Amino acid sequence: MSKRKSREHSTRAEARSGYPYWIRQADEIIAKHVVSEANPNGAEIRPDNWQQLALDWFTPREPERSALARYIAAHQTKLGVAWARELLRLEVFFQVKDDQAIVEHYARAFRAYPRCALIELWVAGHILRQSGDVWRVRQMYLNAAAELPTFAKPFYELGFLSYLLGDFPGALEQFDQAAALVAADDVELGARIFYNRGLVRFALNADQQAALADVEEALRRKPDYAQAKEALRAFKSRARWVPW
Amino acid sequence: MVDNRPVLQLRTRWFPTRVSGERSMLMEIEFVVNGRHQDKPSMSEIVWATGNIKQALADLPPIVPPRVRRELERLLQPWPPGRYTGAYRRTGGILNLFTPPWGEPQDEVWNKMIAEWRATTFPDDQAKRAALIELEQRWNNTPHPFFAGLTPAQVMVGGGAQEAKLADEFLTQLGKIFGKRAFASEGDMLMQTLMLLRGWQVEPQPNGQTPMQIILAERTELLNRRAHLLAESK
Repeated sequence: MSKRKSREHSTRAEARSGYPYWIRQADEIIAKHVVSEANPNGAEIRPDNWQQLALDWFTPREPERSALARYIAAHQTKLGVAWARELLRLEVFFQVKDDQAIVEHYARAFRAYPRCALIELWVAGHILRQSGDVWRVRQMYLNAAAELPTFAKPFYELGFLSYLLGDFPGALEQFDQAAALVAADDVELGARIFYNRGLVRFALNADQQAALADVEEALRRKPDYAQAKEALRAFKSRARWVPW
Repeated sequence: MVDNRPVLQLRTRWFPTRVSGERSMLMEIEFVVNGRHQDKPSMSEIVWATGNIKQALADLPPIVPPRVRRELERLLQPWPPGRYTGAYRRTGGILNLFTPPWGEPQDEVWNKMIAEWRATTFPDDQAKRAALIELEQRWNNTPHPFFAGLTPAQVMVGGGAQEAKLADEFLTQLGKIFGKRAFASEGDMLMQTLMLLRGWQVEPQPNGQTPMQIILAERTELLNRRAHLLAESK
């Protein structure tokens, strides 16, 4: 199985002085770097710019941006400057790839607000990596799949979880859904979906042809995908290429 | 002279989580109840044939700790006529050893089945009860995604000698591969272990069969043996 990349492939930072220290660090970064049209000098988060800042920082791209905008519109009265600050802090922890800070900040800061499928979608992988709480994470991805049915990522993640649980038919079903939904320009996710689907197809019924086709598709989408290259080599040199 | 009395063995194992380490002991006990020695029937077979748990445990040496004895007694209890909810509390063998504990609240399969049953209109209470019984049997005997494809009945019956050997091989290999590796977190250890397990279970053994196939066949054989002995004892 492919390991997580980008936001979810993060390393555990040293605890240092713990949560208050992380928050101070995050706030310093936010103060220095929050720059947008509404806030050209990187100044404070205000009642007139919190929505814009949250969208610019957390979701610069579609379709996440629209999903977050819908969430903000639906819960506007319960959100505000304080929520945006927590979101920006979370984004800082994503940027520095600190699993521990992400998980702890999410638990402490976001329980006061309505559940957001998009935020859960990004945080769940870190919870899995940090604590291995498979069942909690599965529920978060199920919520995301139900609330963001056009997103490929929740289905990919559910496929990955199903594989970990040894449910290969379930994993294949989820990867099929993810493959049907993934955008052509989402190189990273697309490549991982096809690579992992190939792995599951082979694990499920030793379907070499289908597995090979999926690995090749993963490499077509991302030619420098090291794991897929390795799998292709192993696959051609011997009968099996599962990681054992 | 051959001394074949039981001997104590000390082994160290590497586990990704404390829970899986503790469950491994339960898994060993599940193997023990199905283990045959010198063509003598296993403890399970004695209970299936006679219904007598005391008789099955009669040959246990006194050194066996009370906790293990209690666990053996629990495993040897008759199965319920309805749904095998006891499967939630069994290990499911090596294929399920590392899966974090779960039960009815997480059981999406059963919850979906029961929701559909509740939403169905039946002509009378008898038909409703019959449908529930049929549903419970279907759950018992259908491969469950959260039991790594085993049926709850296959979980209930426990693993046999072949699975015990495979589990030992896997756990030995796991310790060699991960025993000295540094991990970022417990979750990381668990994920890496599960990925290794899922690769291993589909890798053919020298006989051409995968561990998964061997385990499924052995558990099915144990279920058949159970059904045969229970039928004979009636």
